[in-house]
Amino acid sequence: MTPTEPATRPSAAPSAAVRPPLPVKMVIAGGFGVGKTTAVGSISEIEPLTTEAAITEVAAGVDDLSHTPRKTTTTVAMDFGCITVDPTLKLYLFGTPGQERFGFMWDDIVEGALGGLVIVDTRRLDDCYAAVDYFEHKQIPFAVAVNAFDGRVQHTLDEVRWALDVNDRVPVIVFDARERGSVRDALLVVLEQALARTEG
Amino acid sequence: MADGSTPPDPEPGGPVPAVRPFLVTAGRVAPDPSGRTMPVETQVVATAEGLAVLDRLAFEQHDIVAACRIPQSIAEIAARLRLHLNVVRILAEDLRTAGQLTVHVPDTGVTHDASVLRRLIDGLRAIPDSRGVLRDTD
Repeated sequence: MTPTEPATRPSAAPSAAVRPPLPVKMVIAGGFGVGKTTAVGSISEIEPLTTEAAITEVAAGVDDLSHTPRKTTTTVAMDFGCITVDPTLKLYLFGTPGQERFGFMWDDIVEGALGGLVIVDTRRLDDCYAAVDYFEHKQIPFAVAVNAFDGRVQHTLDEVRWALDVNDRVPVIVFDARERGSVRDALLVVLEQALARTEG
Repeated sequence: MADGSTPPDPEPGGPVPAVRPFLVTAGRVAPDPSGRTMPVETQVVATAEGLAVLDRLAFEQHDIVAACRIPQSIAEIAARLRLHLNVVRILAEDLRTAGQLTVHVPDTGVTHDASVLRRLIDGLRAIPDSRGVLRDTD
């Protein structure tokens, strides 16, 4: 609107005032209704946003709502939030659908991620196999986080580790997706993994 | 991304949007037939030139430049403007070529550096839990 600044250098870098932060991302994966969006919302500085991918119609056919009576719709393709660490560094948290059929969405979202958190509902362990396989295959640092619905976990962590057949180096933890501090600590476990890897 | 098999569009028989998403991109489904996909966290910022011609931009182009007065990620633009991710990628690339946006694709060599990870870890540790209690640092 202001013609006072005739952009003489259209491809010039933006001024310092609008220099964007370095964006980094982590991925929160798991089956439907497992608490991905809850976890993102617990720690994000914005209300989780949703992209309008056309995944919803497909999801309606494969989603098993019988174990998640409080979740009546699966209109979410991908929820995400963010944390501004400082003006130069911003962490994005992307929740990705975990079912195998959505594999095509994954590379699009996950490429370049610092790490992943696989959320597990112990009543439906098989929902997270695809996510575990994916991170292992892509060699992305990740941790398995058992969401303690109603404060209870139906299997021990050793049982979960055995059932998922994850490497001993993959942390398996219990967390509460509703608690900011709990989500923070789960993300820290993943980042510590990533850091350890850079230090060889 | 070869054309044909992509994009992840609605299943046949599903509800058809009033305007097919890729109409606004003249049918293109990827920003660059040969290039890599723009990561969803890629930051986009309006240039002074883009803001100067804002009134002359149409529809989605206008909305994207207007939204990027403050830096936005591709994902945020898609969510806030209710556009398909790949539509945003394509239009952002067009607007960058026209000098109306700058597009900052993160360098994975930089984002995966130990110094960045340490800053992130320190930053997260400083977040209090729901009851305002900081994490134990031991």
